[in-house]
Amino acid sequence: MTDPQPPQQVARIAQQDEADLVARAVAGERAAFGILVERYAGVARRVARAVLGNPEDADDAAQDAMLSALVKLEQYDARRPFGPWLLRIVANAATDRRRRRSVRRVESLDVGLTAGGPRPDTTAERRALNERLRQALAELPERRRMAVVLFDVEGYSHGEIALILGIPEGTVRSEVFHARRRLRVLLADWKEEG
Amino acid sequence: MKEPLPFDHRPDLVLGRALREALDPGDAQVFTARVVALAGQVRVASWDAVLARWARAGVAAALVVALAAGYFVGHATAASPSAVRPTVSDVLIAPPAHPGEVEVVLASVIGNN
Repeated sequence: MTDPQPPQQVARIAQQDEADLVARAVAGERAAFGILVERYAGVARRVARAVLGNPEDADDAAQDAMLSALVKLEQYDARRPFGPWLLRIVANAATDRRRRRSVRRVESLDVGLTAGGPRPDTTAERRALNERLRQALAELPERRRMAVVLFDVEGYSHGEIALILGIPEGTVRSEVFHARRRLRVLLADWKEEG
Repeated sequence: MKEPLPFDHRPDLVLGRALREALDPGDAQVFTARVVALAGQVRVASWDAVLARWARAGVAAALVVALAAGYFVGHATAASPSAVRPTVSDVLIAPPAHPGEVEVVLASVIGNN
């Protein structure tokens, strides 16, 4: 059995692979663009949802961002990682959409569940926790939401998030710190209630 | 268990997992298929397309500039014919402007003799 490749090497291979996919997509190869979309659909939709709250709006924003990225693919510098470049477009698309539209409020919580009422089953519990997390996220400033999702959910580094959001790295650290503090309190309360 | 610090430089796996589940967008295949289908209608701005677009405007502009330059040069040349300078042969062949000067010089030379 071969030894696993070191993470930096894996990242380099992935980057080369993505640069190749981008070149093929620019040349008009639809399948290459499809692979890129498939690879980044999850993160793009989650980041957009963190900004917009509403899943339909989030999907529309992610879709607009992907198509906008396709038009701008020639501007992508293949020496840099593709993910942060794409996610910057996604973040901007989501922010623009949020500004343009009055975002519908996330559905109100089931009062019985939030007030510590009876918990019918684990699925319902998880659903309620997800709802509370989404609501807690919605209460955070937009940039803070994106920072914590990109760091704790998607595993991007502070430097990469700084590139995506167009803010200094120190600000990213601060945003992640404040978001975590708020969300961890909520998670801890949930565990204690359970 | 040690409580995770908010300023930790590593991702918080517990929080990350919970948030991922909360933000789970659902069926990725439908989304991907929709975006790829729409991508067919999007025209990628390839370098040759951009060049072709600029080339048409460039050729038209160059034509206008060339016509304007030709007009002005031609107009300037026609407006000032006196500005044409005589060649050396023209000066030698042409009759002298004051023919008397030569006769006076000859008469004075002969007279001295």
